[in-house]
Amino acid sequence: MGRPVAIIGVGQTYHGRRMDVSYPELVREAVMAVFKDTGLTPDDIDGVVSGTMPSMMEGIALTHFYFADAMQAVGKPIMKTETCGSTGVSIAQTAYYWVSSGAADLVLAVGHEKMNEGNSQATMTTVAEPFYQRYFISGAPGVFSMQSQMWTARYGIPEEKTRDAAAFISVTHHDDAFDNPYAHIKLKVSMEDVKNSRIITYPVRLLDVCPNSDGACAVIFASEKMVKKLKKKPAWVRGVGYRGEEYFFGDSDKVVWEAAIQAAQQAYDQAGIRNPRKELDVAEVYNPFTFQEMLFYECFGFCELGESPDLVLKGTFTRKGELPCDPSGGTLCTNPIGATGLIRVAEAALQVTGKAGAHQIPGAKLALAHAMGGVDQFNGIMILGSEL
Amino acid sequence: MAKRVAMIAVAQNAGTESKDNFYDQAYRVTKEVLDKAGMTRDDIQTIVSASSDVFHGGISCANSYYWETTGAFLKNASRQDGESLFALFYGAMRIMTGHYDTALVISLCKGSENPPLDTCTLMYSDPFYFRNVGLTETLAAALQMRLYMEKYRISEEQCAKVAVKNLRNALGNPYAHKKGRFTVEDVINSERIADPLTEMQCAPKSEGMVATILVSEEKAKKYTNKPVWIKGFGSSIDSYGIGDRELLNGQLRQAAKRAYKMAGIKNPLEDIDMAEVTEPYAFQELLWCEDLGFCRKGQGGKMIDSGMTEKNGEMPVNPSGGVLANNPYVSRGLQRAVEAFLQIRGEAGERQVEKKVKTALAHGVHGFAGQCHAVAILGR
Repeated sequence: MGRPVAIIGVGQTYHGRRMDVSYPELVREAVMAVFKDTGLTPDDIDGVVSGTMPSMMEGIALTHFYFADAMQAVGKPIMKTETCGSTGVSIAQTAYYWVSSGAADLVLAVGHEKMNEGNSQATMTTVAEPFYQRYFISGAPGVFSMQSQMWTARYGIPEEKTRDAAAFISVTHHDDAFDNPYAHIKLKVSMEDVKNSRIITYPVRLLDVCPNSDGACAVIFASEKMVKKLKKKPAWVRGVGYRGEEYFFGDSDKVVWEAAIQAAQQAYDQAGIRNPRKELDVAEVYNPFTFQEMLFYECFGFCELGESPDLVLKGTFTRKGELPCDPSGGTLCTNPIGATGLIRVAEAALQVTGKAGAHQIPGAKLALAHAMGGVDQFNGIMILGSEL
Repeated sequence: MAKRVAMIAVAQNAGTESKDNFYDQAYRVTKEVLDKAGMTRDDIQTIVSASSDVFHGGISCANSYYWETTGAFLKNASRQDGESLFALFYGAMRIMTGHYDTALVISLCKGSENPPLDTCTLMYSDPFYFRNVGLTETLAAALQMRLYMEKYRISEEQCAKVAVKNLRNALGNPYAHKKGRFTVEDVINSERIADPLTEMQCAPKSEGMVATILVSEEKAKKYTNKPVWIKGFGSSIDSYGIGDRELLNGQLRQAAKRAYKMAGIKNPLEDIDMAEVTEPYAFQELLWCEDLGFCRKGQGGKMIDSGMTEKNGEMPVNPSGGVLANNPYVSRGLQRAVEAFLQIRGEAGERQVEKKVKTALAHGVHGFAGQCHAVAILGR
């Protein structure tokens, strides 16, 4: 449905603690990288989509004003999309709909965050309303710890097994990040290191959690006409799904998590995917917490409900496994939040165009990109393929 | 060719402080627009909201908070931050792709619970240079107004006339926050906020949940025999630093050009029957009308003197009272489109203009001295 849309280029910053650049300079670095990657110039762009986390994060509101020049957006139509942690995928989806609608042929999507200039956990506490939830839902780890506990309790998974599986995820992703030149955390860790790291909120430990990163990502979406004209290797958008659910944390089931299940289903239906583990070649799952990553595997239909720790320990989701997940090191190793979802999309595009370099999954043709946000509320999915 | 998109129903609440909380207010407007369209939540396939974070709403990730009150539970929804006309554009785009036939577009802003407007707009300033000099939208507007007056010999009286007209027009608008019969002297003699701007030339801080329902051409007949079509839309953003820009030659011309091209408008003064423009500061209505092509450059003062933009003039501008009468910051752009919709349908009540309205323009703006503009053309 709609006009076909493809990603024809991506640009990322070197993510990390970037005290060498200002926030606009960081944004500019990613935008210039995508122009270098595509050989296009700002004049070629019909519209720009911008997005970030809420204004509390860096203390600047409506950052599309501040970054108009850095994004090379001056004189162009603009959109400012924000959906909390899922912002990155929502930006990509805005760009997709914009091009697919016929209102533009080339749209630049830019996501950014400079988290070391603010206090991310204080910011996330202000996502919770001030009357009820703010007292006990402060920051991200609390929410995701509760979700992990609900999950293991529901299926009666032995504590030791989930602990081992989560540690295994941490070890493999930290190893993967060494092959991603843009990743933030590059650290050799052992299973024992993870299991003995500092507790954050039980059962989550320091090495189960993503870092605070500075980073930006820029992606160019193109119509079929422009793909042909520019002769770029395309990553076609094959499916776009998004779902959100209730605000109050206790109101919905976060184990059989409908927002995640239905978002994936909407995208699978569009892409004609029936058996995701078989048909997908690689997935970039938004994984700020090791435990939660396993829950996503189940909700996205990569395995049966409650089955994920077994498969993780078998290596099903490693780079050499049946369905490699987060070969880039994922959110666990790099998390500039407003950019993170878009980095998932960019990594998926690199994989299906064979441009992922040292962390390329050989022959990848179909990839899933995901982001999650809100008080465990929103899930957005984008499926990219080398064929239309 | 892209699919056509129609607005089939609208709802809004009053700009004065409501005793309803944010949730209830949002729910009531959502329910009202669904009822007016003859729809239930099940008929809505996608939702695009507009809101702003902390500084305009008190809660980060604003859409987390109100998600289910806007009917978005387990639906594919998204959000535009800061200006609600962009939510209208995004809703329309979603339908134009063919993925969806129905969309709810809603903007949420509860001014009475927000800090002063310029406490919020100060946060647009970068922390290194502008914030230290206290640059806000009001301060930027005052600089722009002085430049406008000096360059084109626009008088304070001519600027004040916009406030007189709009607050008088607002007498016919049950949703307006501020209204009344005032003189040019009243306006000029009200408190000086940032010279030359006086209090009555600056918009108030209002409440505003504003909603509309969009449907594809195929579905329009099912729901209404009076569809209002979104004929064109366009936007444009300017450089950030106000010293880097020509403050009297901004991006509205670009935004309007894009919308006019899409809608096939060649001569705006002839092809457009009325306009609702966002004028948070009185003089901006004159400046924006120039950029929209309603008069020549620098002729905004003469235009208001001629009475052309009065409710029953040749080109009525802001018969609702505009933003000077009602300013729910984020919602004001969509509110302009809602008012244009009512005028086209002949359902604007006491504020209905005399001439027949076939095509109307809605305009939204935010940022220092009009950094970012959006224009929509609606028509029968």
